[in-house]
Amino acid sequence: MAADRNWLDLRRYLAREPVILALLSIAAVILFLAVTGLSRAYHAQRESLGNRWFSRGVADLNARHYDSAITEFRAALLYSRDSYAYQLNLAEALLGLKRTSEASAYLLNLWDREPENGLVNLELARIAAQRGQNEQALRYYHNAIYATWPGDQTVERRDTRVELIEYLLKINATAQAQSELIALEANLGDDPTQQLRVGDLFLQARDYQNALAAYRLSLKGDRHSQAAMAGAGSAAFDLGLYPEAQRYLQEAVAAAPGDAQSSDRLKTTELVLRMDPFRRQISSAQRDRTVIGAFDAAGERIKSCALPKGAVTPPAWEQDLAGRWAKMKPEMTERGLRRNPDLVEDAMDLVFSIERQTSATCGAPTGPDLALLLIAKLHEGN
Amino acid sequence: MKGINLDLPSKSRTDVLIENGATEAALPFPERFPKAFLQSVFREDRFFLILSVFIGVFSGLAVVCFRFAIDWCRIYLLGSGATLSPMRLLLAPTLAGLVIGVLVIHVFPLARGSGVNQTKAALYIYNGYIPIRTAIGKFITAALAIGSGHSLGPEDPSLQIGACLASALGRRMRLSRDRMRLIAPVGAAAGLAAAFNAPISAVLFVIEEVIGRWTAGILGSVVLSAVSSVVVMRWFLGSESLFRIPAVQLERPSELIAYSILGIVGGFASVAFSSGIAALRPRFKAMPQWTQYFQPALAGLLIGVMAVLGAPQVMGAGYEYMDEAMHGQFTWQFLAILAGLKIVATLLSFVSGTPGGMFAPTLFIGAMLGAAVGGAEHIFLPHLSGSPGTYALVGMGVLFAGFLRAPMTSVFMVLEVSGNYSIIVPVIVANTFAYVISRGLQPMAIFDVLTRQDGLDLPSMEEQREEGILRVEDAMRPAGTAVLDEKDVIDHVVQGLDAKSPGVLLVRLNPTGWSTVTRKELETIVKEGKGGLTLGSVVARPEIPYLHPDHPLETALRYVDRWPLVPVVSRADFRKLEGVVSQEDVLERYRDFGEV
Repeated sequence: MAADRNWLDLRRYLAREPVILALLSIAAVILFLAVTGLSRAYHAQRESLGNRWFSRGVADLNARHYDSAITEFRAALLYSRDSYAYQLNLAEALLGLKRTSEASAYLLNLWDREPENGLVNLELARIAAQRGQNEQALRYYHNAIYATWPGDQTVERRDTRVELIEYLLKINATAQAQSELIALEANLGDDPTQQLRVGDLFLQARDYQNALAAYRLSLKGDRHSQAAMAGAGSAAFDLGLYPEAQRYLQEAVAAAPGDAQSSDRLKTTELVLRMDPFRRQISSAQRDRTVIGAFDAAGERIKSCALPKGAVTPPAWEQDLAGRWAKMKPEMTERGLRRNPDLVEDAMDLVFSIERQTSATCGAPTGPDLALLLIAKLHEGN
Repeated sequence: MKGINLDLPSKSRTDVLIENGATEAALPFPERFPKAFLQSVFREDRFFLILSVFIGVFSGLAVVCFRFAIDWCRIYLLGSGATLSPMRLLLAPTLAGLVIGVLVIHVFPLARGSGVNQTKAALYIYNGYIPIRTAIGKFITAALAIGSGHSLGPEDPSLQIGACLASALGRRMRLSRDRMRLIAPVGAAAGLAAAFNAPISAVLFVIEEVIGRWTAGILGSVVLSAVSSVVVMRWFLGSESLFRIPAVQLERPSELIAYSILGIVGGFASVAFSSGIAALRPRFKAMPQWTQYFQPALAGLLIGVMAVLGAPQVMGAGYEYMDEAMHGQFTWQFLAILAGLKIVATLLSFVSGTPGGMFAPTLFIGAMLGAAVGGAEHIFLPHLSGSPGTYALVGMGVLFAGFLRAPMTSVFMVLEVSGNYSIIVPVIVANTFAYVISRGLQPMAIFDVLTRQDGLDLPSMEEQREEGILRVEDAMRPAGTAVLDEKDVIDHVVQGLDAKSPGVLLVRLNPTGWSTVTRKELETIVKEGKGGLTLGSVVARPEIPYLHPDHPLETALRYVDRWPLVPVVSRADFRKLEGVVSQEDVLERYRDFGEV
């Protein structure tokens, strides 16, 4: 009897519990579907609001209305807190207002999510550079160079490398800048504008040889590029290739007479070419006249050299050079030089010594003095 | 389902076998299968576990809708932008406050407050009963309040909504009273887990604050419901946490001093916050009835004024601003101001009877305070490695430990939210300071204060920590000569007894058991001429139970009325007697304890 009763209880129980579970399951499914409908409406509304605020933000960002853009991007983020685009644009707007620490918080968050994003790395590099955190800046710049970019990756990477080079030049890391430039040049192609840009950077990095090569390539693509001619002239000038420098600079000045730097350099180049007594294909008389001119210029230079502050008498080196100059002066005639050809060497040695010493202590040389100094450098070791 | 609901013949082969004397367990499997299997599947406790999953699902769905409702209220009442118009900032919380005032007085009187205490009262006083109307009321009024900018959070209302749904479901299921009592915490955990997207913290919070004691019996159901509700919530709202977690690092142990300072500041802030609520709430409640209509509106207006004056961050739950504070987007001075204003705003909202939770405001205050202290410390100690975000995270735990007095939850919450184990040491250090200060300056936890103000007395974890526990070792006495061995000959035993010997003697049985024999029984055996027998042959079997010294004294109460003397043995060696305990010993100990 007891077993019967138990069985009956169990059957009643079983009749109830499974039905309840079935009803609960049905209710759960119905409610789930209902909430799904609500959820779609909710998310659609949020997406639409987010997009609306984002579009306004982008418009304000493009118009450089950073304050409004920040408010709008923040509003957009209310509806999609983790949106990459919203955060990135907000960070850019914050950077626009120089609120770097806030921007950096967003960018670091984005970096955590996508360490390979080029733009994020570039912005972080700029912030680190601004803060003087060179090591971090270089790390982020390199990340950015090898990162993924939307659109034309090659162009973005090249521009990033150019920015890195400019940064390296700014912090006087010339050697690093030169190696980055070589890497940049390898991937550049024949685009004259880009070659011109690289030439400028090589010039800034004082790698005149590569600079000249880049300008030449640029001129190959665009023969009339005044900037490339000026750059090539400048690089050739710094390399001591004065005839070539003269040719480029003449063309550059002819194309742009207002280019004061090229014009100055051209004048100096012409002086160098004219005042160099060791240049080829000149007559003895002409060489002697050149030496006498150089000697006189050096004499003027040492005479005009002001005394150092607080000094009553000229320093010993000046007295020595002035003494030597005065001693040699009577012999410095065309006749004297013809009689004693060795005097040319001695006179020019003295001239170079005077120009070197005075350039170090009497201020930067100009005109003939600068030309003589450059001639001295040109014949150093000969 | 059809397979289970069988219409079996009135007498099966199994029944015949049972009637013929076979035990059910001895039956061959095919006969045993349907009954034993189905009984084991549909036992009430297992059904309760399945029900917990459904409670989790329904609570999760309800909380998702609650989140939608809050967001919609915010968009339509305050506007969709990040910068809100001053007119809306003033009008929205004020007018919403007026509506809420009318609703909580006339339509949903049980929807007032946070909901944690009401859930606890349902567990301990109303046998798990919470009217479904409370859930509806809480849903509407709290969504309106939070969405319009009152400084309250959605977690505690979600907890109560979950508990209400669970209670309603339990009533429909006609669960036993014991199960009904347990069902509210199950729903509460589900609601809180979905609202905070943190199942572990929700389970711990419900144990610490709602159930108020550690109990293994309900843990499985609570965990199941919490996990299922979080799954539902993540299905609809995604798995992203409420705020972006900053990188956490602790480079030098000496930096713990900085976190200790945060703990101390947080401890005092917690006391200020809870004292304010404890002092103002009864005053607001004691005001004339007509003022109750306007209290939420007035609170809303004042919060609106704060927002217009430059601190809109204090409105609503404020998770987006916690996120910003964690990522160093405010100065430390402004963060400190925000923490102070949020305390005032939450005080106003809560004491005015506006429905809403204190979970989010507590986290907000903690985050702002943490980031402010961290920011200030960085000025004086620039070498500190912790970011403002780390301090904000630790600050959240600090306020949780100091204000809500849920130390376990406070640690695990930060751990669960940050997902970073390296933060655990700073959190524990800071929380300890905050907890000790808070407990020292305000002995009663805020939820207990609120319960007492409502005229209720509910158990709490804090109370348990305070109360001493009596153990068997406190009542036991040395066994002395009262211990015999089963090999002892009765004649020898009786000869050894004197006037001082006890009336009941303990007999050690082989290999590990114990039994008792009275002096009178031994003397009778000797008189019957059976004194040559050993004790083992005459003592009563089965053996008597034994206790261990660390057992709670109430365990001893189960045995001492049935056995005159209960042995207390070592856990390492059951034959090693530590002492004995009798009914008289136990009662005497309780008497002494009561007098103390």
